[in-house]
Amino acid sequence: MLKFKRNKLVSVVKKDKDTLLVHGVLDDDVYGLELDISFKISDLEIIKIDGKWNRFTTPECPRATQFLQEAVGFRVGEEGYGQKVFKVVGRKSCRHYANLLLECSHSAKEAVLVIKYQDAKKDTPELTFDEFVAGTMAGTAAGAAENTKKDDPEKSSDKKVVDEQKSSRKAAANKKSKTISKKKGNKAPGEMVIDLHVHTSPSSPCSSAAVGDLIQEAKRIGLDAICLTDHNYVWDPDQVEALRQKYDFLVLRGNEITTKQGDVVVFGMDKDIQGILDISELRQEVEEVDGFMIAAHPIRGFLVFGASQVGLTPEKAMERPMFKSVDAIEVLNGKVTEKENDFALEVAEGLGLFVTGGSDAHEVLEVGKYATRFSEKINDEKELVAALKSGNYSPVIFRKD
Amino acid sequence: MSNLLVYSRSRSTSVEQIDDQTMLSSCRLQDTFTDAYVEIRVQLPELEIIEITSEFNRTQQNECIDVSGAFQKLKGVRIGSGLLKILKGLVADATDCKQFGFMVEECCHGVILSFTKDTMMQIPEGQEVGAEAYKNMVKENIRLYNRCAAFAPGSSMVEGIDPP
Repeated sequence: MLKFKRNKLVSVVKKDKDTLLVHGVLDDDVYGLELDISFKISDLEIIKIDGKWNRFTTPECPRATQFLQEAVGFRVGEEGYGQKVFKVVGRKSCRHYANLLLECSHSAKEAVLVIKYQDAKKDTPELTFDEFVAGTMAGTAAGAAENTKKDDPEKSSDKKVVDEQKSSRKAAANKKSKTISKKKGNKAPGEMVIDLHVHTSPSSPCSSAAVGDLIQEAKRIGLDAICLTDHNYVWDPDQVEALRQKYDFLVLRGNEITTKQGDVVVFGMDKDIQGILDISELRQEVEEVDGFMIAAHPIRGFLVFGASQVGLTPEKAMERPMFKSVDAIEVLNGKVTEKENDFALEVAEGLGLFVTGGSDAHEVLEVGKYATRFSEKINDEKELVAALKSGNYSPVIFRKD
Repeated sequence: MSNLLVYSRSRSTSVEQIDDQTMLSSCRLQDTFTDAYVEIRVQLPELEIIEITSEFNRTQQNECIDVSGAFQKLKGVRIGSGLLKILKGLVADATDCKQFGFMVEECCHGVILSFTKDTMMQIPEGQEVGAEAYKNMVKENIRLYNRCAAFAPGSSMVEGIDPP
């Protein structure tokens, strides 16, 4: 018996010389919705869009239809079109509308190819579609763009897999972090509280916080330092030093790197990692520079159901390859639920891994929600890595408001 | 020849529970240019992709004729946090066939939606109790707040709930 089924249907007609009418239907076990969209044939701009719900879940789902108008003016094929649809339509309206809009958009793009072929055939009746496509692809920028992404040695993940974990790291992992304190982060003399996980705009496209604003807010609430951990982004050390001078505040560099097994916050590594590495490959890179790896928000579930619904237990999660490669686990992360943080803590305790806290701030007022309290003074990135390896720290709930 | 279709497409995604530990999710695409099928096998409870197969029976894109190079790369990926970014990166690294990536994505969405359906089935009927259940859902997982129009400020679903 089927557990779930989704059907989507898209039909495209040419209304006039420069207008395509696209009708899309999405119908699945949970949702039923339709879209009617007019595109300009010349540049695939959305000139009109209407939506209709047939079935939905919450009583407020119908509100989504009005926000579809935000897509008017979008052009299929413009840079970041898919992202824009997800961000604007998916977030302000509804992600199921966004899904259907992308299906309709891709169909409109292909329909234009059919129309152009039909036009070309008027001049050259014997032209086959394959010949037409080959000519289009070879002779246009669009065609070239479709074929631009070739093997990039920098992005190749064809690297040697590390099977063994260094014994020194294992030994460190067996020492349980001394304190797992979730008490409010009041500082004792000589201690430092650092937010180890912060995202800035524009280095992290998902963040809306300017770095200067974040630093000022961090100072205001009494943090001793923040770590800039933008996604797969290496901050220029001179730029960070300039920020330290300008704001008279300790700013440190990290990097949140996406791996096949999930996100990892890395310290002590300057290499710019692009593409998706296997966790073992990242481990190898980090070991080469004697850096430090923290599994970021390792238990982040879905929006309407949690780990328990799929039968995930801490014991089962402990078997993940991710946890065999990291030095610590982030057990206080500002972007996950309390239950998910508690789950991560159980995993860390079970494995004897060090534990940290970080806000994962993407907005100014989120900085310092969670942080990590160190028992020693840290002045630079080298000392931060040494302190992280020592295990003399604990995650704290810091922000009071 | 007005009103004749210049293009049409149908895409169908199905999810089956094979046994307690395994789900099978498949996506079939048929349109004016393409006839393709992608299937993923997913292991519970980690929702880990353990097997992928695909067939492109009809396509205008040469790069879609053989996408088997991507299969191995996608094995071991968990359907969960950061899925789209991970899939996009791994598929782009292995093949230029974007449609294959979309179809894997659809298979993964199907798995997630099958659990969403299970959750929805537990929500009591009746407008008032239903609305309360959704509110509780937001309180349980504040990531839902402002996630879409239904959970945006001004909606009764988030009335009285502080923004994160």
